[in-house]
Amino acid sequence: MSRRNPLAEALREVKIRTPDGAEKRGLRVVEAAYAERRSSDSELRGVMTPKTSERQGRRPLPRLALALGLATLLAAALLSPAGAAVRGWVDDAITNGAPHPEPTLARVPGGGRLLVQTGEGPVVVRADGSKRLLGDYEGASWSPHGLFVAAVKGRTLSALEPDGTSHWSITAAERVAVPRWSPSGERIAYFSGFDLRVVAGDGSEDRLLAGSAPGTPPDGSVSPAYVPPAWSPTGADELAYVTGAARLRIIDSETGAVLAGAPALSRITSMDWADGGRKILEASPGTLRLRSLLPAGHPARPGLGGARRLALPPGATVNDAALAPQRPLVAVSVTYWKKHGTYSEVIVYRPGHGARTLLSVPGSLGQVEWSPDGRRLLAAWPGANQWLFLPLEHGSGRAIADISKAIAPSGRPTSFPRLEGWCCRR
Amino acid sequence: MDERRLVREAQEGSGAAMAELYSLHWRRAYRAAYLVVHDAAAAEDVAQDAFLAAVDALDRFDRRRPFAPWLHRIVVNRALDWARRESLRRRVAQTESVFEPLPPPEEIGGEMIAALKELPAEQRAVVVLRHLLEYTPGEIAEMLELPRGTVNSRLRRGLDRLREVAEAEIVAEGRR
Repeated sequence: MSRRNPLAEALREVKIRTPDGAEKRGLRVVEAAYAERRSSDSELRGVMTPKTSERQGRRPLPRLALALGLATLLAAALLSPAGAAVRGWVDDAITNGAPHPEPTLARVPGGGRLLVQTGEGPVVVRADGSKRLLGDYEGASWSPHGLFVAAVKGRTLSALEPDGTSHWSITAAERVAVPRWSPSGERIAYFSGFDLRVVAGDGSEDRLLAGSAPGTPPDGSVSPAYVPPAWSPTGADELAYVTGAARLRIIDSETGAVLAGAPALSRITSMDWADGGRKILEASPGTLRLRSLLPAGHPARPGLGGARRLALPPGATVNDAALAPQRPLVAVSVTYWKKHGTYSEVIVYRPGHGARTLLSVPGSLGQVEWSPDGRRLLAAWPGANQWLFLPLEHGSGRAIADISKAIAPSGRPTSFPRLEGWCCRR
Repeated sequence: MDERRLVREAQEGSGAAMAELYSLHWRRAYRAAYLVVHDAAAAEDVAQDAFLAAVDALDRFDRRRPFAPWLHRIVVNRALDWARRESLRRRVAQTESVFEPLPPPEEIGGEMIAALKELPAEQRAVVVLRHLLEYTPGEIAEMLELPRGTVNSRLRRGLDRLREVAEAEIVAEGRR
């Protein structure tokens, strides 16, 4: 007869707290990951099906197979008629950099206003090329219609007009970062330390949405906590963010309740809703992927489903990724090594349809930003101190020289400016 | 259906078999994670991540071996990682006041469990592996990649501490 073990009984039988729906939530994620893995395996097998004479050989290693598969996909994209046409335009215009850049930004190609963070503070560049310094803030972002700017400095979050007039400011307990307006303009989500908070667009009702994330590294230097939060574009009260423990979470922006969660990409740098709120795009230096959400109307909405990687050139590092505002396109700036040095490309993906390389230059490109109408891209080229305005379909590109000086309000060259947004259609 | 067959079918592409494996093991995995981390959201994350790791490594899994110890090894190691990070975070929070005060401890019921929570994470993990999941000290040593002597000493220290807490509470109860 076995001896009674009260500790074992207590451990087995004691009631423990279990979040509502945790088991089902996990099952959905695991099923999606399993299905994704199976479909990747099938795709891989399809790409690597050996010819008859090779069938007796060993099956290629999966890693090698994947690399070859990606190379094939990219080669196909580059050799397609559309890819060839774009390459022709690139060759004519700015192969090996921009040999004849314009000395000043006399107007913003395609119109709209740019918000740019300079060493002196955020600057609004109007359509006619004129500039306005908003103050000595450390970061800024547009409201949805460009009527206001949310700006941060230390522990202060402020709402400004685009001429710099301050409407309100609040002071948080910790340093404030990456404020993001909801599509309705009614709320702003932001980080204060490792807390995710939300405040009404008029500066009232500031409150905590998600506390210090479990597993947050203590030194505060980890980037995932400062991946900007992203509001659902559907208008639902859904906010996606990345915890300090690199978990992708979707929460109810009213109650803070966790609606869905899954591991984020390791070393994730940016994240946003894609495909009209049906997917989440994640980017890290080595990976770009789209994670599906369950469709609207599904009882478990907005549960997270499987993730699909977008093919990158072998060995490429992702500098930046941006979703087009009006079209199902993702622009990506990547850098990789070739035999004779570093090269960068701007690649435009239409997920599920293919990819086009829009630009290939020596050196390292930086950020990419879409124009408000989704017809142009602005690619930053810090090594050449240039901005490149690239039309997606027709017309020629434009390069602007000496950007760190051209954009600086004082006219004195400072650090290369950081793009914070290109706004707005009207 | 026996577990070995489920694993084989999952390896061969059956989503239903994978889902059944998940359903068979999730509750125990969650409970083990919870008893190490004592945080419901973190335990959910740990359990989910462990299953995702299992999906990733499924093709390499030797199906002649039992599935549960393989999964439990992942669960407890991840839970330990989390608990260590959390402990470090709390220490920094106390010294630098960077974070808001931690929420009050959750009521999970049972004096023994409350006492378990007071143990260092390394001792909790060993106690959970031994008494909830019923592995031998030798198996635990293999799972945590520790010398068997270390497992035994952690187990002994943990149980001594649990006994002290339980006895103190019994004495206190008698005085009321």
